[in-house]
Amino acid sequence: MHKQENKVGSFQWLLLISVFVVATCGLIYELVAGTLASYLLGDSVTQFSTIIGTYLFAMGIGSYLSRFLKSNLLGWFISIELMVGMVGGFSAGILFILFEQVIYFRVILYTLVVLTGTLVGLELPLLMRILKDRIEFSDLVSRIFTFDYIGALFASLLFPLLFIPYLGLLRTSFFFGFLNVVVAWIVAYRFRNEIRRYSQLKWSAIVCLLLLAAGFILSEKLTAIAESLTYPDKVVYARSSPYQRIVLTRSAMDWRLFLNGNLQFSSADEYRYHEALVHPGLAQMKEPKHVLVLGGGDGMAVREILKYTSIETITLVDLDKVMTDLFQSNTALMKLNEHALRSPKVRVINTDAFVWIREHQKTFDFIVVDFPDPSNYSLGKLYTMSFYRELYRILAPQGCMVIQSTSPYVAKKSFWIIDSTLRQAGFLTTPYHCYVPSFGEWGFVLGYKEGLSQQFNFPKDLRFVNGETVTQMESFPPDMRVAESPYNTLNNQVLVNTFEKEWADYTR
Amino acid sequence: MISRRKFVKHSMQAAAGSSLLLSALQSCKQPAAYPATLVGPNARLGHMLRSGKFEEPSEGSNADVLIIGGGIAGLSAARYLKKYTDNFILLELGDETGGNAIAGSNAITAYPWGAHYLPLPGNNDPELIAFLREANVITGYANSLPVYNEYHLCFDPKERLYINNFWQEGITPREGVPEKDRHEIERFLALMHDYKDQRGSDGREAFAIPVALSSQDKKYIALDAISMEQFLAQNGFTSPYLRWYVNYCCADDFGSSLTDTSAWAGIHYFASRKGKAANASSDTVLTWPEGNYWLVKQLRKDLEKYIKTNTLVYAVDATNSGVTVLYFDAAANKTKKITAQAAVLATPQYVNQRLLNPNLKRTLDYSAFQYAPWMVANITLDASLDERKGEKLCWDNVIYGSDSLGYVNATHQQIGFHNSHTVITYYKPLPGRDVKKLREQAYRSTIEDWKNIALQDLRKPHRQIENHIKQFDAWVWGHGMIKPVPGFITGETRAQTSMAIQDKIYFAHSDMSGISIFEEAFYQGHIAIRKILERNLLKV
Ligand SMILES: Cc1cc2nc3c(=O)[nH]c(=O)nc-3n(C[C@H](O)[C@H](O)[C@H](O)COP(=O)(O)OP(=O)(O)OC[C@H]3O[C@@H](n4cnc5c(N)ncnc54)[C@H](O)[C@@H]3O)c2cc1C
Repeated sequence: MHKQENKVGSFQWLLLISVFVVATCGLIYELVAGTLASYLLGDSVTQFSTIIGTYLFAMGIGSYLSRFLKSNLLGWFISIELMVGMVGGFSAGILFILFEQVIYFRVILYTLVVLTGTLVGLELPLLMRILKDRIEFSDLVSRIFTFDYIGALFASLLFPLLFIPYLGLLRTSFFFGFLNVVVAWIVAYRFRNEIRRYSQLKWSAIVCLLLLAAGFILSEKLTAIAESLTYPDKVVYARSSPYQRIVLTRSAMDWRLFLNGNLQFSSADEYRYHEALVHPGLAQMKEPKHVLVLGGGDGMAVREILKYTSIETITLVDLDKVMTDLFQSNTALMKLNEHALRSPKVRVINTDAFVWIREHQKTFDFIVVDFPDPSNYSLGKLYTMSFYRELYRILAPQGCMVIQSTSPYVAKKSFWIIDSTLRQAGFLTTPYHCYVPSFGEWGFVLGYKEGLSQQFNFPKDLRFVNGETVTQMESFPPDMRVAESPYNTLNNQVLVNTFEKEWADYTR
Repeated sequence: MISRRKFVKHSMQAAAGSSLLLSALQSCKQPAAYPATLVGPNARLGHMLRSGKFEEPSEGSNADVLIIGGGIAGLSAARYLKKYTDNFILLELGDETGGNAIAGSNAITAYPWGAHYLPLPGNNDPELIAFLREANVITGYANSLPVYNEYHLCFDPKERLYINNFWQEGITPREGVPEKDRHEIERFLALMHDYKDQRGSDGREAFAIPVALSSQDKKYIALDAISMEQFLAQNGFTSPYLRWYVNYCCADDFGSSLTDTSAWAGIHYFASRKGKAANASSDTVLTWPEGNYWLVKQLRKDLEKYIKTNTLVYAVDATNSGVTVLYFDAAANKTKKITAQAAVLATPQYVNQRLLNPNLKRTLDYSAFQYAPWMVANITLDASLDERKGEKLCWDNVIYGSDSLGYVNATHQQIGFHNSHTVITYYKPLPGRDVKKLREQAYRSTIEDWKNIALQDLRKPHRQIENHIKQFDAWVWGHGMIKPVPGFITGETRAQTSMAIQDKIYFAHSDMSGISIFEEAFYQGHIAIRKILERNLLKV
């Protein structure tokens, strides 16, 4: 008799603990979904309230559906718990990976929320029915709901305080999926004599656990997979050099080069960018002989420069050997730059431009400065007055140089800071801009010492730049102008701070 | 599109990267062992001086002037002297000149072992300005303000403070600091600002660099009688944030703390720096990867042939005809003798006490000179440090609540692309009243002890720092900086220090100023030479 009572007791406690775990896990999945949705879609108030609403409603559906389960209730309870573990556990991972891929992200998001909610909603009614003959009804209701609500409190406190900061979203959701399945397995084991198909449940549980554990461990890898998925087209080349991550993608339309995830060019319209970079300056020079290119390891600017027959030498200084090697050896890419980097006139130097230039003495007739945008302090140094002074020193008296200067539309202040820094360094300047479809409105600044000839000698068969486009390029509508600009120095780095802010505002 | 993609990446990093629990599990594997060494000044020669046993010198030579000690003061003296004579010698104990401004280097970068920056100087010392022009630190003038060479101005971002689990920009505590304390800090800074503009009844600046040009007005002199701690209490400053900050400032300039720094010196830190630039804000500093060793190299540019290193001077005496100096030439393993018209002792007073023949009767209370010991560690890292939220790595990185000065990033002034390898220089004054005991303790400590002290502090902002360390070296400065304890700066003893002996033996060292900074050392150096010139001791 005594023993029997004990057994009922432990039976009941085990199930009540699983109520607790189910409630905790359920709420965690809901919070994960809410957090993710507000991360990814923004507007956290809307996301959280619609997700909580949907989730609660789905629980209602689950409760309703529970009436259709007639027999083998314990077996169902355990199977559902396994399913909750799997769906909930993988939800964050799935959403992460699918976010960039599908247009109907919200559909998937809410499907997952509904699915989890329904399954969790099935559990409580089932449990009440399982326990109804073993415990007095008023006791049953009070205990089940107590555990349910304690679980909810537990989850809502630990989620922001412990799990998100220390485990992160992905691991948190895998972790609770795991917990869910473990509890299901324990219950199954404890009642292995009362349920049908125990061994089938056991193996399902083991498989689920393995999958979830793998997910937990591979979370970091998952982010890498997700990275490659963030590129719209097929990735044909990806490599990390000591300085950056180089990714090349290809579609039916074009080739695209990304450095650290930022688009460098699309083969479909890069001619616009590179023609605009090189010709407005170079075509005004009389018999240019020696040219310096800083950055521009893709060889596209060099390709444009080689169109001038008077050119004798082109010195290309690019930090990243991986880049210049790639564009000197890959057949498809060499087609793009027309083997420019292999020309006998070209000398490639892989070193830091700032360090190199400080030691360099000989002057150049034309200089192209094609660095990535000033998005961090290291790059910002290459846009300072000190750097421009060094350029001034090695520019021939009649020479001219051009600087890629980010977008005067998106980062208007940044653009004009570059212009004013050049002037502060002693240059006369001519800012100009043009439209490159894959970039948007893009800006450049010409710097020179004595004025330019205004006589353009364009090479034949340019596709974009001619006398007329140059005139257009030099006119700035009011929305691309600013009244006054500070200048960028090593000890103020105003450009980096301004640039960061402008792009953040634009992309918010 | 861009923002979404970025956001996904960021949130994924947040999700995957910030997992302390997991990294704690992972870090159960021991971090790889890395070499750690204790380096320091020439201990063998230093010991010889203390033991005091030397053979009679066999060789002798002579010179017009002899300079003993090749720190900033000695080099400044030599630089100035060279304008007037070719016949002088500078003797330096170390392998090379530099003294407290010495530096080291490895494959990644040069890094300082001691002094590492110079605030923009004011106009009080024309000789210093002249030197900075020679060195092309000042490149010209615009609107009658000096234009500084941008490469030598501290690059942006300059400094940050780790406080309340966050790196804030600048080092006056602000982030998460209650309003009341912030007001107090503001009130304090405003008061200090007032002192900056004040002049005494004698028309001199209340607080000047060099210290010697400061006002003698009683109003200000009185501040030297009390400690900085008493000054704060008297003026109703009680905020723990402010107290930490002011204590940090005392440590920065003097290696001392609130309780053993005179209020005059404490205020001097805030109120004496009046330098302005045409092209930088006035709180900017001049700094280099190797710290002030860069200035050392500029100072000694044309001096190499006058400098003898690895020489330990052990006796100085005045004779009828001039000065005799005995020294041990470590390279030749021989004692030698030099006679000169005059000598400049550009060595600290605790050394002079041993060098000078007691018969010379320099009645100086040497015990008034107290020096704060320091430990400096250079830590080579092979990856970027794990960072907490807030401002990114700066030149100067300070940890709130700590009694260290935090660390300085040696590659900050590099113009080339920053890869993640760097050397950080960690500064730790050893505070306390009983400097003798502290010094003995410091000399007994092992490299392991220093490693523990430094890492315990650095782990607060950089939990994983140990995983990135390639090399850990430490240097103990037994007599790092002169302490301006209450009464010292305006006291009798300090005034006597600069008195020459028999018009032949002159003194030049930063400890004579009571404040050990580059400007003071530089000033003491050329002033000593000027005195010699005034006495017509040179045949010019
Ligand atoms: C850790 C630390 C950090 C510092 N940071 C800064 C800073 O950032 N900015 C700043 O302005 N100041 C700083 N200082 C203060 C620094 O001490 C001074 O700026 C300046 O370098 C002092 O120069 P000095 O010539 O007066 O003295 P020292 O540098 O002490 O020069 C004395 C010289 O005499 C030599 N010598 C000693 N005995 C003998 C002997 N018997 N025979 C021959 N030669 C001998 C020594 O080897 C030494 O080279 C710092 C000091 C320390 C310890």
